[in-house]
Amino acid sequence: MRNPLADVPIPVLDDLIESDHLRSIVVGTVGTLGLLAVLGSSFPDSVAGDIAGIVFSTSTAASTARLAAPIVLAGLGGIFAEKSGVINIGLEGLLIISAFVSVYVASVVGIGNAILGVPAIWVGFLAGIVASTALAGVFGVVCIEFKADQIIAGLAVWLIALGLAPFMSTVFYGGVNTPNLGARVGWRYFAVMVVVATIVSWWALNRTAFGKHLRAAGENPRALDTVGVSVSRVRHTGVLLSGVLSGVGGSALALSIGQFVGSGETMVQGKGFIAIVAYLFGNYNPVGTLGAGILFAGLDATQIRLQQLGYAVPDTLVQTIPYVVVILVLALVGRTRLPAAAGDHYETEE
Amino acid sequence: MSRSDGGRLSTAVRRVLAPFVDRTVAERVLISVAAILLSVVVGFAIILVSGRVAECATAAWTMPVTGIGFCYDPIEVYVVLFNGALGYPLAVGDPGLVNPEWTPFNLSMGLTLSETTLLIFTGLSVAVAFRAGLFNIGTQGQLVVGGLATALTVLAAAPLLPAGPIAGVILIVAGTLAGAVGGGLWGALPGALKAYAGANVVITTIMLNFVAANVAYVLVLEVFRAEGSSVVATEYVPDHAQFVPWLFPGSSDFALLALAVGIGFILAFYYVVEHTAFGYDLRTGGVQAAAAEYAGVNAKATTVRAMTLSGAIGGVGGAVWVLMSEGRWVDSVPGLGFDGITVSILAGNSPLGVLPAAFLFGLLKGGALEIGFRTSVPTELVGVLRGLIILFVAMPEFFRMAGRYAGLGSRGPGGGNPTASGGSEGADGDGTDTAGTTTRGGESDA
Repeated sequence: MRNPLADVPIPVLDDLIESDHLRSIVVGTVGTLGLLAVLGSSFPDSVAGDIAGIVFSTSTAASTARLAAPIVLAGLGGIFAEKSGVINIGLEGLLIISAFVSVYVASVVGIGNAILGVPAIWVGFLAGIVASTALAGVFGVVCIEFKADQIIAGLAVWLIALGLAPFMSTVFYGGVNTPNLGARVGWRYFAVMVVVATIVSWWALNRTAFGKHLRAAGENPRALDTVGVSVSRVRHTGVLLSGVLSGVGGSALALSIGQFVGSGETMVQGKGFIAIVAYLFGNYNPVGTLGAGILFAGLDATQIRLQQLGYAVPDTLVQTIPYVVVILVLALVGRTRLPAAAGDHYETEE
Repeated sequence: MSRSDGGRLSTAVRRVLAPFVDRTVAERVLISVAAILLSVVVGFAIILVSGRVAECATAAWTMPVTGIGFCYDPIEVYVVLFNGALGYPLAVGDPGLVNPEWTPFNLSMGLTLSETTLLIFTGLSVAVAFRAGLFNIGTQGQLVVGGLATALTVLAAAPLLPAGPIAGVILIVAGTLAGAVGGGLWGALPGALKAYAGANVVITTIMLNFVAANVAYVLVLEVFRAEGSSVVATEYVPDHAQFVPWLFPGSSDFALLALAVGIGFILAFYYVVEHTAFGYDLRTGGVQAAAAEYAGVNAKATTVRAMTLSGAIGGVGGAVWVLMSEGRWVDSVPGLGFDGITVSILAGNSPLGVLPAAFLFGLLKGGALEIGFRTSVPTELVGVLRGLIILFVAMPEFFRMAGRYAGLGSRGPGGGNPTASGGSEGADGDGTDTAGTTTRGGESDA
């Protein structure tokens, strides 16, 4: 089945995107947005005008950036882990733990104070990254050294964080939600971080020796071992990187509001699972992951604005769209191929 | 089991005894128990640390020798957790060990067993799919869809029948069947996507969970919402169509009949998985899909069937949730399907193991309520314990290493690597029961 959208040439992106289904997604998204812009400017008083007004407004851009940051960053982390051969399904847990720790540490330091010249909110931001990386490190040791089943251990990471963050919040603040810090970090910082992280990830994966080792550890660990590179070290690095990037995402999520919300599925609300979807959707390409993350977040942000304008869109149905799209994409357009050795343990041969 | 022993036992007896004497099973049970104990120990440390940083007027517990005070008493927490979940059979602090006023039919016990019953269905659902090599994370969605199908069927059929015990039986049976069909169809979807389009089951079932929750919510919100209800919920099904809380207090939402049905399901699926041709297809497909195909198993059809069956069991879980716990479909569906994954993992994906695993998580749930009533420790602690148990169960190699380090030697359950012990097991045994050998291989793989 040949997808007509896949044949449209994209001058700048041609080098970055090899995959057909990714091209069709890019062309489809750009086409839809373009059509919307034309319709919206021609009929400003219609529904199309309203939607166009929303989609191209600054406030929608801001909330898209806020919602996309954790998805894209955790998704980028997931690429590093999975390319190295460790399927990290615990991204959700990493986001939860970093979201809580960032707010907690920022409140302990105290807004207005600074450590070594770093303002409290950024100290919290760094602490969130450290917490997420530490949890990812535990996950890595469990999977690589103790040969745990990666899916089960990943679920355990999610469950532990899901219990631990509201537990600690209750211990410290007497409730599952932390009080608001009264300070927040602007979305522009996180938008920049997301773009920089995407470019650096793409470069690291495709243009460095480390990227080659990472892919070899996932595709053919024996070959990597033969040339004298330690497979477990590469895999540990991949998992730790997923912790760092998810930590940035989780801290960004919490600090963009200035609060941790721990009720129900916590404020992360499945964004870690959407992140997995985003990188599969982008076929392990950081640029594709960025696109998928912005698409999902943009849909959500548009839907929130539509509600505020009084359109009776059942918001839950709009939220369902990304999930249905993923199922359709998996079934019809392109099958994502897991790295050959993902999920397997590797024994070094002495 | 020595060769001479095996010769004397008839095949039938051996088949019954095999799961209990088989060393890989013994090892698995040992790992599960060790994981529970280790998580209790780690939980102890977490309670101590958080008790140190929390603020309180008087220390609840003072560490011997050092004299450091802690806000939470870890021993009390565990006593309340396990004793309280059973309704305090042990009289702690009073003269005499046993509480003379305790009966098994108390409220806490009912709450614990109610959770156990629901977890039996969801745990069994995950376990059946797991044995076919399919990781069904979608039991939650199958439970949501099955529960809604049950509620709508019973609500639609109830006015057609005169109220009474006979109508009740008919409604409960019809509602449960509707739940099984709804959950089965919802489970068949990822099965078919896997078999005919190669879509990853883990991903599609996670997605379908969100889709099920959202679609069911919108359906009830827009179409089936009970008039004047402040929450998104259907009407209550008539009283005679609900499971009767026989012997237990009505507020515990527990019916012995439902537990009996659950145990019946466990035995039935143990038989189906271990001793039927379909179960053989299921297990070989799970262990070595290519080999199964070569041996004449239709792997695609088996995948769809396994997922349908798994979904149907999850749907029955939803039916029991509606007809026993809530009496209606209500939007705040508890995460029973996710807990089913943890139950199945702790049970080593064996249908028989689901019963004790479901009871343990039922205990944790019942005990969490008691911790909330009786101590100042946040009940979220139980969620942490659950995650720790799963983490430790996932790393059997850790316990094998620890066993080797402790010098248990190669004969003990801590010795040898899994493939080697599995292989020697096959050589030690009679080597005639090929299905049994396959099972063992599969279990050590899973």
